[in-house]
Amino acid sequence: MEILIQQLFNGLTIGSVYALVALGLTLVYGILHIPNFAHGALYMMGGYITLTMMTKFGLHYWIAIFVSIILVGLIGVLMERFVFHPLREAPPIHDKIAAIGILLFLEAFAQFYWGAEYQSMPTPYGQVVQIMGLTFTMQRILIVVAALVVMLLLYLFLKKTFMGATIIAMSQNREGANLVGVNTNKVAMLTFMISGGLAAIASSLSSPINLVFPGMGQLVILKAFVIIILGGMGSIPGAIVGGYILGFSESLGATYISNDYKDIIAFILLVIILTVKPTGLFSKGGQH
Amino acid sequence: MLSLKNISVKYGSFTAIQDVNIEVNEGEIVVLLGSNGAGKSTTFRTISGLSKPATGELLFEGKKVNKTSADQMVKLGIGQCPEGRKLFPAMTVQENLKMGSYIHRRKKEEIKHLLEHVYELFPILKEKRNDAAGSLSGGQQQMLAIGRALMSKPKLMLLDEPSVGLAPLIVEQMFGVIQKINNEGTTILLAEQNANAALKIADKGYVFENGSIVLQGTSEELFANDEVRKAYIGA
Repeated sequence: MEILIQQLFNGLTIGSVYALVALGLTLVYGILHIPNFAHGALYMMGGYITLTMMTKFGLHYWIAIFVSIILVGLIGVLMERFVFHPLREAPPIHDKIAAIGILLFLEAFAQFYWGAEYQSMPTPYGQVVQIMGLTFTMQRILIVVAALVVMLLLYLFLKKTFMGATIIAMSQNREGANLVGVNTNKVAMLTFMISGGLAAIASSLSSPINLVFPGMGQLVILKAFVIIILGGMGSIPGAIVGGYILGFSESLGATYISNDYKDIIAFILLVIILTVKPTGLFSKGGQH
Repeated sequence: MLSLKNISVKYGSFTAIQDVNIEVNEGEIVVLLGSNGAGKSTTFRTISGLSKPATGELLFEGKKVNKTSADQMVKLGIGQCPEGRKLFPAMTVQENLKMGSYIHRRKKEEIKHLLEHVYELFPILKEKRNDAAGSLSGGQQQMLAIGRALMSKPKLMLLDEPSVGLAPLIVEQMFGVIQKINNEGTTILLAEQNANAALKIADKGYVFENGSIVLQGTSEELFANDEVRKAYIGA
């Protein structure tokens, strides 16, 4: 019983990180209508920038995360301006190729600038706490709480502000949004900013329990793709629910099946969902 | 108010419209007639800023707006109810309408009044205000598209085939509302295949064929024209 609860909590932790990454991916998918393969590289950049801010500049963990959110958000905006925006009239395959190009570029850049070795990120929240006879690390509790707060803020932004509503409107009909007076360029940039920021938060939160290295985004982004296919491409609740489903399946699978097969679970889920409900759990009716 | 002078639009090497001249004066209802592919929608896309003219001059209230983007055009006072409606299908009716007043987003009171006004014109929209736009019938979606365009308080409203695919009774209703909107002071440019209904409320019209204007005149003139009667009225 104790192991089960412990593993459920672990699933919640991993699921929170996955959900944050998948949210950024799904938002950009809504705007571009292409999968942004470079999103994993943004996640990786977020980890490195936070780490550098802490070790080189001696900033506090939270301030380092804040700087990372801004910088990775800006990288996202630059990506939109210099790569995806010029390609908006090109066939969709061009965006995909470009996204892979950005991914390769950023990974090579990280390896060149920060080196290929695995680095660990210090955290001020290394303590272990006991709650009802169960042990939790503060960092893991922090991940769960912070992810919930970020998702709540994102929800309020999208649902309660005009700015947020424009992102939703644009993902449902780009020309329609343009015709009511929305500057679609600005909204696209804003979406990339938010997407990059979410990736930075996710990697900064999870790096202290994982490690920072140039390829750290690869497995995460593959799983994020599984999540948004599971939840329905472009669906926001789908990304959140999908993230937690994958988190729980992985941590339970690791305990009760085998730790070696942990990373396969995502792809088994993918095969199942594509067989049973290819449009995903939360696909929107009446769209397109 | 709006004038197109020798406007041509190209998609790649294909010329969609050529040397189009249109003049819309304040307070008028002007109708563009023509079959599918004649160039009506391209003309609309050009006026609303989605497509850019290759040659010619586009003037709105005396200002040259050839290169103005679509969102800026809305701010200048041109509202469009486009071909295919281009609604936000997963948003509710009310959310769609609110997005329509995007350029007035800071004026909460005004949005409320505009919303009431649209609900007055189309009571069915008020009934369905919490339904997703994608779940509405074709006629209701068309009303929503017109309502959304009205929410920006346009000086000039472009309506691209508002009667397409609608039952005759609804068409009549729709044209009644269009006339009402015009009476309230909005100038209207209408693209239609239903010449009979459109010419009844219009002041003047232009007939498109293969990307050019082949005929123009007042509604009475067009209504009396044999070729127009044969091609678009069927009498």
